Amino acid sequence: MKQSKDPFEAALEEQEESPPDSPVGEDELNSQTPNEPQNQTDGGHNLLVDDDDYDDMGPNIKNPSHPSSSSTPKLHSTSVNANVATRATTKNKEYDDDEEEENVEVELSKFPSSADPAKMAKMQAILSQFTENQMSRYESFRRSALQRSNMRRLLVSITGSQKISLPMTIVVCGIAKMFVGELVEKARIVMTERTESGPIRPCHIREAYRRLKLEGKVPKRSVQRLFR
Amino acid sequence: MSNPSAGASSKSKVGSSQPSETSFKRKRGVFQKDLQHMMYGFGDDPNPLPETVALVEDIVVEYVTDMAHKAQDIGSKRGKLSVEDFLYLIRKDLPKLNRCTELLSMQEELKQARKAFEVDEEKLGTLE
Repeated sequence: MKQSKDPFEAALEEQEESPPDSPVGEDELNSQTPNEPQNQTDGGHNLLVDDDDYDDMGPNIKNPSHPSSSSTPKLHSTSVNANVATRATTKNKEYDDDEEEENVEVELSKFPSSADPAKMAKMQAILSQFTENQMSRYESFRRSALQRSNMRRLLVSITGSQKISLPMTIVVCGIAKMFVGELVEKARIVMTERTESGPIRPCHIREAYRRLKLEGKVPKRSVQRLFR
Repeated sequence: MSNPSAGASSKSKVGSSQPSETSFKRKRGVFQKDLQHMMYGFGDDPNPLPETVALVEDIVVEYVTDMAHKAQDIGSKRGKLSVEDFLYLIRKDLPKLNRCTELLSMQEELKQARKAFEVDEEKLGTLE
């Protein structure tokens, strides 16, 4: 039976379009975490912060800093979890500090729209087969981010206005991260074309940048930068 | 003798010999540490070359600068700069657009969660 609705769940359901399989999602989550009844009595919070950025090991795994999470090793060896746990605190500092308390006790029953059960299952199937190397690279991919404070400072200096909202910083950090991804991936493509190997060199990045400009993915300066 | 405009362009990559003012001098390596992890995550070596990281940082700063200028141009018509201006700029780039909407919605959820968390904490506090 579903537990009583707390205000947060109700608010969430209002917020998002309720996917038809949300009850299924809840049952899945409940069936997979039978050892945690104390969470439910804790005030009725049932929010697993599943978001990609905040939980590296996939949606069904709680934040590793939670002590009882080790009792339910999902796909990965507990060593990986331990590894992640040590870095979980540093990672959480990148985001607001309040969020850390959030992660400890809460369990989202309603996952964000991108995480329907089929996709989650697929994702976990893939993740379970990663080698150590791949896992560490994937971890870097998920966790790395540009510092919001630095970005905010940069934006303030560019626009000249002090009023840079938090969502704007977040958006720009996200855009910049994806841009870096495009650059690096294209640089790797350039390298395979030239059949070179090893770390990426500036010439590859420059060629990648040139190609991105041709594709129109880089905004063109309306005024040429004359003095560097 | 020296061009007066060169002194005015304090934001360009002048050497760090000038004393730092209130404006943001382009210090080297602002994003360097984060960029190293990021590049590894995207496919580079575990230890990217420092000159590569420096170049990527320059490119990213230039990218953000251009985007911000364009967003400002758009936003000036409305009055002030807002998030929508950035979203308008990347409207053609679907992966980025989806990612940004996802980030924004996640941030909203977290805000709600924090609010609910504090409310419940108060309730618990009064009970005990």
